[in-house]
Amino acid sequence: MEQFLRTWLEWPSVAAFIMKYTWSWPLGETLHFFGIILLIGGVGMFDLRLLGVAKGLPVKAVTRLLPWGVTGFFLCVVTGLMFVTGVRANVPMSPYDVIKSNVWLQLKLVFIGLAGLNLGLFYVTGMNRAVDALGPGADAPALAKVIAFASLFFWLGVIYFGRLIPEGL
Amino acid sequence: MQEFLESIENSAFSSYIRESPSVLGYSTVLALHTFGMAFLVGLSGVIALRVLGIIPELPLNPLKKLMPMIIAGFWLNAVTGVVLTSLAAVSLFRNWDFWVKLAAIVVAIVALTKMRRTAFADPPAPDDAPGSPEARRWAKVMLFFWGLAVLGGRLTAYATYIRIQSAAAVVVAVVVLLLVARALVRRTNRRSVEARV
Repeated sequence: MEQFLRTWLEWPSVAAFIMKYTWSWPLGETLHFFGIILLIGGVGMFDLRLLGVAKGLPVKAVTRLLPWGVTGFFLCVVTGLMFVTGVRANVPMSPYDVIKSNVWLQLKLVFIGLAGLNLGLFYVTGMNRAVDALGPGADAPALAKVIAFASLFFWLGVIYFGRLIPEGL
Repeated sequence: MQEFLESIENSAFSSYIRESPSVLGYSTVLALHTFGMAFLVGLSGVIALRVLGIIPELPLNPLKKLMPMIIAGFWLNAVTGVVLTSLAAVSLFRNWDFWVKLAAIVVAIVALTKMRRTAFADPPAPDDAPGSPEARRWAKVMLFFWGLAVLGGRLTAYATYIRIQSAAAVVVAVVVLLLVARALVRRTNRRSVEARV
């Protein structure tokens, strides 16, 4: 299994591509940051509205920002996969060893998972339908506020741990 | 000037942040700088999307309430930016890319201020009013220069030829992404109009 993962994580060789095309790493970094901005501008803005910021906005209108946040997340996933699978272009380590040993990367992945579970909870508890009807000035239910706070916490945690990854290389 | 920059770079504070083995030093300052960027650019971008008519459903005037968070993001980045600059003051002040980033931030902040003044005029425009031509112009300028500032920040550490190649690659990628986004926005807006009819 280990050998399979070691091989699979480096095939095709992203590191070789990054070393050949020197612009690819900074391009990935820039798009990763654009992704973070879209994520906070979309998902973060939705969370802030549920928490009572800019309460004059009807929640239904704010949901129009969510596709922008999801786009940002996918930009980060694609570029993040490039950083991990192509890590050998910068440090003499295999992606497998980085995933296995870098506690900050592990914490980042755990927080992404927790953000996903939190989103699942938002739907399972029916909060998605409950907040959809909230007009200008209306307060979100307490559970929706807890989920929105957790969402912001997890996403900021993802950004924080992402910044710490080089410390563990 | 050189001596002044060296004294900043070698000060006890800068040395501590730069050399501290704790993750609460350099990496945390860097992370806070990223938080500030996300709130400053992300939330001012939300106002720009409404002003530009990309998300017309958002009522205009309540968006003004985002300004305190946008300003908080700016100050967080001003403070962490000064700290990060002090860690490598000598090389950064000689780096043209650093000055491009700073100039882009200044223009973006001016454009943000102008967009706020024109979009949230006194007396306020109706919530469903389209953004004025002036507000739209400033929104476009702001988004462009935020993009340039982020790009400049990312490329500071690279050699000039890599910067130029990377900037060209970013332009190509952003144009492709914008074309896809435009197609998706048009489709969603058409569906939204059909649903209302």
